[in-house]
Amino acid sequence: MIPTNDSPEPDDRQLVEQVRHGDEGAFETLVRRKTSKVYGLCYRVIGNSEDAKDISQLVFIKLWENIEKYDAQYAFDTWLYRMVTNVAIDFMRNKHSRDNAVNSTLRLVKTSVDPEQTVTVQRKEVEAVFNAVSDVLSPKQKTIFVMSEMEDLRSSEIAKILGCQESTVRNHLFNARKVMQQQLKRRFPEYARLWEESR
Amino acid sequence: MMTCRSFREKLQPGTSEPELLDHLRHCDACLDFAMSVDPDLFFRSIGGEEVVPPGGVDAFVGDVMSQVRVRQAETSLAPHRTVSVWQRLAIAATVAAAVTGATLAYRFEHRPVTHPASAMSVAATTPAAHFAPTATKSFVETYSSHDATIVEMPNDGSDTKVVMIFDDKLPADL
Repeated sequence: MIPTNDSPEPDDRQLVEQVRHGDEGAFETLVRRKTSKVYGLCYRVIGNSEDAKDISQLVFIKLWENIEKYDAQYAFDTWLYRMVTNVAIDFMRNKHSRDNAVNSTLRLVKTSVDPEQTVTVQRKEVEAVFNAVSDVLSPKQKTIFVMSEMEDLRSSEIAKILGCQESTVRNHLFNARKVMQQQLKRRFPEYARLWEESR
Repeated sequence: MMTCRSFREKLQPGTSEPELLDHLRHCDACLDFAMSVDPDLFFRSIGGEEVVPPGGVDAFVGDVMSQVRVRQAETSLAPHRTVSVWQRLAIAATVAAAVTGATLAYRFEHRPVTHPASAMSVAATTPAAHFAPTATKSFVETYSSHDATIVEMPNDGSDTKVVMIFDDKLPADL
């Protein structure tokens, strides 16, 4: 009999069920499917590709070890993102205390640019500016900012992931935006002009 | 992807329209325009895209799976090295029994022994009927000697018969 290839791809919950029954292949499929999401969030929160890779791998190992704890009544991505944010925030907190002195000398400072000059916004530059100014955010604030602005998650989804109130998420977002603008004004005045011009 | 013209017509401050955000994140020509409409889109412009770990997805997945296999091997070995709760309790009970037994045996071996000389002095001053039996088994079944003095204690009705033998020729370790 010729095997048919029209069976639909198993969804996340089905894969989890197969992993629970010892199917290593199902876990590999799950890792492959979620690599971009997990690594992308880690990379944006941590801002360093090598650390982000290590943290993402750690997340998947934790996923393997804790797969029995997943409750299928909740969305798998919410559970996975919670794991990612916990591991990434822990890493950031430890790193912050380790690298405090080093960071202060490595921060990108461009105060020599004339604030009156017109700028053409380049995507690569925006990334560099983000990595520089987001350092002042707390790990939790930065995680929330990344999930909202770059991963396009709604406040309600972020609240579920972090296990907090939606209002808490909105407060963190409001404060993060304010702090980022202040940092832009101080360190990248040419970009801060964008906000002033739009008023 | 939507056209630049359509993007510029539809873009409103505070947008979270996936189509508009997708265009913003891929079209350099519209980036400046978007900033002039809503500066909060500044950082939104770098989100959304697929980010691949260094070395590629295949290498990443391979690394994860090899680490998973190592963990699996470790956990499959773990039960042989650990001792279950019941086994721990059994070991603890055995040790406790052994210690108790050894203590009792030691006490039994080193219990105070009534010295014959003191027994004699007690016998001389105390009425014989007040002696409590110190042994349940007779040490001497028969005895024959010309020099010995044998004193049989009066029987108080019990089966025990106490006999005192005074003989200089008796061995000291009897």
